[in-house]
Amino acid sequence: RPALRAVIKVALLNHDPTGKPITLEGVFVGGSAGYAEGKLMQYHPLSLCNTSEDERQESDFITIVKLEHRVPRCLPLLDKARMALDKGAQAVIFDVSDDANAAAELRETDSLSRPVVLVRAKDAEQLMGLVNKNEEAKVRIEIMVEQPQSLHYDV
Amino acid sequence: HKQIPGVSSGCQQGGCLTCSDYNGCLSCKPRFFMHLERIGMKQIGVCMTSCPPGFYGTRSPERNTCTKCRSECDSCFNKNFCTRCRAGFYLHLGKCQENCPEGLARSDTQRECVS
Repeated sequence: RPALRAVIKVALLNHDPTGKPITLEGVFVGGSAGYAEGKLMQYHPLSLCNTSEDERQESDFITIVKLEHRVPRCLPLLDKARMALDKGAQAVIFDVSDDANAAAELRETDSLSRPVVLVRAKDAEQLMGLVNKNEEAKVRIEIMVEQPQSLHYDV
Repeated sequence: HKQIPGVSSGCQQGGCLTCSDYNGCLSCKPRFFMHLERIGMKQIGVCMTSCPPGFYGTRSPERNTCTKCRSECDSCFNKNFCTRCRAGFYLHLGKCQENCPEGLARSDTQRECVS
């Protein structure tokens, strides 16, 4: 079953509210396709390691983690995703640009309660660019509706 | 590390062993503690010689980390031994409680149970 693609719409909170949102793309993993909305919140790849770190956030946030192959995992990615969701994240976005194994590791799962999306390359760089400049942003995740191929009839 | 134009680098720290521009420190030099610092929506790794107030240091073969004290505790040795409580709590035998045992009184200035 091909992975469903995600549309990620990003609205900057400290800018003109009528401004056009930034539209990016990703891929849902683990049978988690669906809608989610929340403020973007970065987590370091070394976080989400043990439940004792009770860094509760406001409720409506979407976690983004830039994965790095040089960082040994404290937990499998699926457990990290579940931990983020348990901490209240409405969805989790993994930037897998620098961690080629991550996509394969997550694709085999099927039991995630809320959306988990992989992003890479320019989509990821744009998202992380906002984070790096601490540009507060509201993110909306939706399932991409593939346009049906137009059928040509020779009449 | 890969320097990305226009991106502030979280890598200029003495204790960093490996780092990246978006995550800051990824690993620390020996004896340093890895502290995950939240700055607004960002969370970056910082390598410190000792953990900041409200956190305690834990050493392990893989990595030394700073871990948050309990929520009612302002500073602590470890998860189970607090050294200063948050306002409204009182220290007794390393624990922060809202009430003191019989025979002891609550000291708001010291935030401790005192005789």
